[in-house]
Amino acid sequence: MAKKIGVYVCTGCGIGDALDIDKVTKVAEKEYKCPVVRTHAHLCGKEGVELIKKDLEGEEGVNAVIVAGCSGRVNTDVFNFGPSVMVERVNLREHVVWCHPANDEDTDMIAEDNMRMGIVKVQKSELPEPYIEEGIVKTILVVGGGLVGLTAALEAAAAGYKVVLIEKEASLGGWVAKQYKQVALRPPYDELRENDIQDIIKQVEDNPNITVYTSAKSEGISGGPGIFEVTINQNGNTVKEKVGAIVLATGAKPYDATKLAHLGFGRFQDVVTKDQFEEMASSGKITRPSDGKEVQSVTFIQCAGSRDPEHLPYCSAECCVGSLRQALYVKEQNPDATAVIIYKDLRAAGQYEFLYKKAQSEGVVFIKGEVVGVNEAGGQVSVEAEDVVRGETVQVDSDLVVLATGMVPTTAFGEEELTVEVKEGEEAEAAAAAADTIIRSDILNLQYRQGPELPSLKYGFPDSHFICFPYESRRTGIYPAGTVRAPMDVRAAIDDAAGAALKAIQCVELTAKGAAVHPRALDFSFPEFNLSRCTQCKRCTEECPFGAINEDEKTYPLPHPTRCRRCGTCMGACPERIISFKNYSVGMIGSMLKNIEVPEEFEEKPRILVFACENDAIPALDIAGINRLEYNPWIRIIPVRCLGSLNLIWIADAMSNGFDGVMLLGCKHGDDYQCHFVKGSELAEIRLSKISETLDRLRLESERVQMRQVSIMDYDQIPKILDEFAEKLEELGPNPMKDF
Amino acid sequence: MAYSFYPGCSMEATGKAYGVSFEAINKALGLEAKDIPDWNCCGATVVANVIGDFPQQAITARNLALAEKNGAGDILVGCSSCFMNLAWVNERFKTEPEFAQKCNEALSAAGLQYNGTLRVRHLLDVLVNDIGLDEIKARTIKPLEGLKVACYSGCQTVRGVRRPDFDDVERPKVLGQIVEAMGATAVPFTHAARCCGGSQQFTNVNMIYDLTGDVLEAAHQAGADVIVTPCPMCHMNCDAYQKKINQVKGRNYDMPVFFITQLMGVAFDLKVKELGFEHNIVSPQKILKRFGL
Amino acid sequence: MCAFKYNPAASREVYNLESGKYAQQCMQCGLCAVTCPARHLMDYTPRQLFKMLFAGEVDKVLKANTPWLCTSCCLCTVRCPRGIPIIDVMHSLKHYHFEKGTKAPVATLSKVFFDSMMKRGRVFELGMTNAYYMKSGFGAIKDAMKMQDVGMAMMKAKRLPLAPPKKVKGLGDVKKIYDKAVALAKEGH
Repeated sequence: MAKKIGVYVCTGCGIGDALDIDKVTKVAEKEYKCPVVRTHAHLCGKEGVELIKKDLEGEEGVNAVIVAGCSGRVNTDVFNFGPSVMVERVNLREHVVWCHPANDEDTDMIAEDNMRMGIVKVQKSELPEPYIEEGIVKTILVVGGGLVGLTAALEAAAAGYKVVLIEKEASLGGWVAKQYKQVALRPPYDELRENDIQDIIKQVEDNPNITVYTSAKSEGISGGPGIFEVTINQNGNTVKEKVGAIVLATGAKPYDATKLAHLGFGRFQDVVTKDQFEEMASSGKITRPSDGKEVQSVTFIQCAGSRDPEHLPYCSAECCVGSLRQALYVKEQNPDATAVIIYKDLRAAGQYEFLYKKAQSEGVVFIKGEVVGVNEAGGQVSVEAEDVVRGETVQVDSDLVVLATGMVPTTAFGEEELTVEVKEGEEAEAAAAAADTIIRSDILNLQYRQGPELPSLKYGFPDSHFICFPYESRRTGIYPAGTVRAPMDVRAAIDDAAGAALKAIQCVELTAKGAAVHPRALDFSFPEFNLSRCTQCKRCTEECPFGAINEDEKTYPLPHPTRCRRCGTCMGACPERIISFKNYSVGMIGSMLKNIEVPEEFEEKPRILVFACENDAIPALDIAGINRLEYNPWIRIIPVRCLGSLNLIWIADAMSNGFDGVMLLGCKHGDDYQCHFVKGSELAEIRLSKISETLDRLRLESERVQMRQVSIMDYDQIPKILDEFAEKLEELGPNPMKDF
Repeated sequence: MAYSFYPGCSMEATGKAYGVSFEAINKALGLEAKDIPDWNCCGATVVANVIGDFPQQAITARNLALAEKNGAGDILVGCSSCFMNLAWVNERFKTEPEFAQKCNEALSAAGLQYNGTLRVRHLLDVLVNDIGLDEIKARTIKPLEGLKVACYSGCQTVRGVRRPDFDDVERPKVLGQIVEAMGATAVPFTHAARCCGGSQQFTNVNMIYDLTGDVLEAAHQAGADVIVTPCPMCHMNCDAYQKKINQVKGRNYDMPVFFITQLMGVAFDLKVKELGFEHNIVSPQKILKRFGL
Repeated sequence: MCAFKYNPAASREVYNLESGKYAQQCMQCGLCAVTCPARHLMDYTPRQLFKMLFAGEVDKVLKANTPWLCTSCCLCTVRCPRGIPIIDVMHSLKHYHFEKGTKAPVATLSKVFFDSMMKRGRVFELGMTNAYYMKSGFGAIKDAMKMQDVGMAMMKAKRLPLAPPKKVKGLGDVKKIYDKAVALAKEGH
């Protein structure tokens, strides 16, 4: 269907007062011959929306709408006219009148250029058609039958979804099943409660929506969200199940205590781990392994192998509360027995404070300090510690010493490998950046080109952004929860189970609609490959942060659209530019930048092109506008899905079109990255390092193209960043290619 | 309004000025505060040291039981130390059933019992909440204009029941409100609820020098003309030990110390003879002269 | 090894005192220590005292002047984030110490105060003061001489009446209540 573009310019919010609106509408009317161009003083009001609707429904036959006014991040629902109407927003407010002087020729020019880009963008876009796989299933696979797996299964089943649960042991319950008692999840918080895991197991076993496989593991998972095919090996028999999304809940293992000889483990019989102690308590009597006598005194050593650069550098989160619980076992067995807890920091936050107080009132003694030695003295184990509060070395003798060993995620065990073979030569750096560490933990056994398990970033935990999107992994549709994701206690793990189950449900529902999951939820576009021009360079398959692209038998890229997050990293990577989305393509952005009017050199009006990431940089620019922070008027902003989608041709185009400089504004990268698509901004920076040679060859200073990392919180830095760059460009003088 | 009044031992001796001026205010405001018949000493803050908390609290509770039996109304206390004991025991009666039962068992040895029906009120509480600032203002015949007052509520006055009750436990306000209702200025005073050293005069006099010395210094720094307090212990330490502190610490304070009831008597234009100023050690004359007394 | 040896069990008798158990709730934040107006005179702050209890140093706790310097001003008690009634703990420690025969001046004063109270049902302040000095021996009398001017000023201001207060009619009742309460307190612990 031919596009009939209606342009609606809002003059509210001070836009009409600050801009020469005629100039803006003229762009649409005269330059681009848009059939309908209207202005309104309050477009987001009822009347304004009616005005647009009338044109959509009436004889005008408008089918693509450009709203020029506020940022595309606001009023999204107001200007939503259904899936068949393309809507583009041209920012005249946050990026123009709120950050540039009113009634100024240069400000008007920004508005005109933004209008040009908006119109061209619509002209070059198509309405996306959802990609809907055949045979989508909404069953959730839960891997791991401990507390988190069981809870996730029950949550998903309660929401009406079928669940397949696999557990490698012969019985369900995992680590929690081995506990004597549990911490309270509701008042009274100062009392331990009986372990109810058997009730939860029974609920799972009785639930008709849940299929349980014990003594089972995944031998292979192929497909993608909505169409995963899992090969389950149960006691040697193979079963295949189709599932839509996966919750990974395989938990953690205790840190190997044999590495803790300095704390006495292995050297003295009466030094045990917290799990050994738990077993004793469950079996009815807490005794000394050396002589079987009931204990009269127990010392707990916290952070045994945790928060220790020699062992686990991180806090294992559960052990403080675990030792409070276990110290109460000691007191329960014998109120006159002594229990001492030696800790670095007692991390018993929230309601656990009540448990801490309870332990104190039962007479448990707490020593803040570090253990410096464990020895045997007179038939007892003698712990020597630096007592911070007393300011001296102290000695605590007891019948039994319990090491509160930390937790290591089950995903951390196995051989490490990189997803990409790092070759010599020009591409080595990009390949190294794209490479992820995969640990062959033999848990999921994904049949993905990028390796069989979830990529890990640090300490063997599956990589995900723990603040912005917990549960999400680098493999779409697979959601780690509980201690496999991060060290946590029972209470947090239960929340995690519910969170991951909901994520899995969102995933199957969105996938069934053909839409992307977070962070581009409800985006119906997906990358299309023009394979006839593919040179099989494999960059797209290597650089996709989500492992969405396998290779077919002929080593062509084989995209799995349901795994795709629609970031466009593949589009940015492709040297042949054969990858595009219906509404986002190399050509589209290229046309947008080419339609910006670049004044002649003598006009002394430089032009700077900014590619800004939609996730953080665009909001930061919007907030700068909201705060009326002013910056130079030479800036022209093109939002991109992720800097990972940056194709180098855009920079070449910008330079040959006479732009004096190009700036990329993207998210922080590195170990504590903030990139919503994990690797995008990092890859962009590496690609940029390549172009500098090209620029030098063209006798263009490589400083003309720069990248800056900004987060949404850096909005106040925006003017400084942009103005300093403008000053730098002024020093360099105009782009010598302007006149060509 | 009628109250069962608990004077406490000091109102007849070291805090004589308080006892006398309270009686004058009692009459002037029509408080109808009548002594609890045959009241006994509460044990102050020291008796628990040698007999334990519970026996002392049981002895204190006799007064509650007597007041309840007499039926003259809620208990009004002027002395902060007595207030602390009575109010705290009363609080325990109301919030700790086990304690109430045990204490009644002790009281029953004397054929008494306490049902926890009374409130124990500090004089400041009654002044501000029952009489009210408007009434105090209305009664003020000689507004204390220009008088700068350091309002020394004292520690046990505001923290007697340990949790916020009628005033703030850290930064008391009530005494200042009363003083200002009479036209005086309550100067910002950092030590309004600090300890004066209490009853350590004989046992650790340095503590009195240090702590009361700090209070006097704070009042002096605040530019106060006079310290006003509702506590006999604060009064004695600030008044009787002021000269000694001047000697020991090399200071030069000449800071009269009034009971709040004495100051009210001045503002209400009561007979100066009925206000017990002869019991003040630091001469009150320079203040009294300002108001033509 | 010459390191200090923890012996938590040794403090059990202190925790069993009337308000002793509350000491166990201390989390060593130190707010009491910075709050106490008498801290500069104390051997140990309340926080240190509690820490010593955790370690089992009962003798050191009992020798400390800390409880005897507590004036029950209650500031630590209203501030303690753990809600420990520190003044009650101090009372219990003092009582315990007293029973063990301490010669702390405050113990002597408290005892003469109590005796005075039980003699008439109300305290005779002047009589109690004299009794204190008599009981405390030569050193105290020497101290008293230094304080003579304060005493004289008090006498002059008629704040230390020479005559004792009238005896409470129900003095017998006070004694009965006391005896019963002591018996109940012993039962309770």
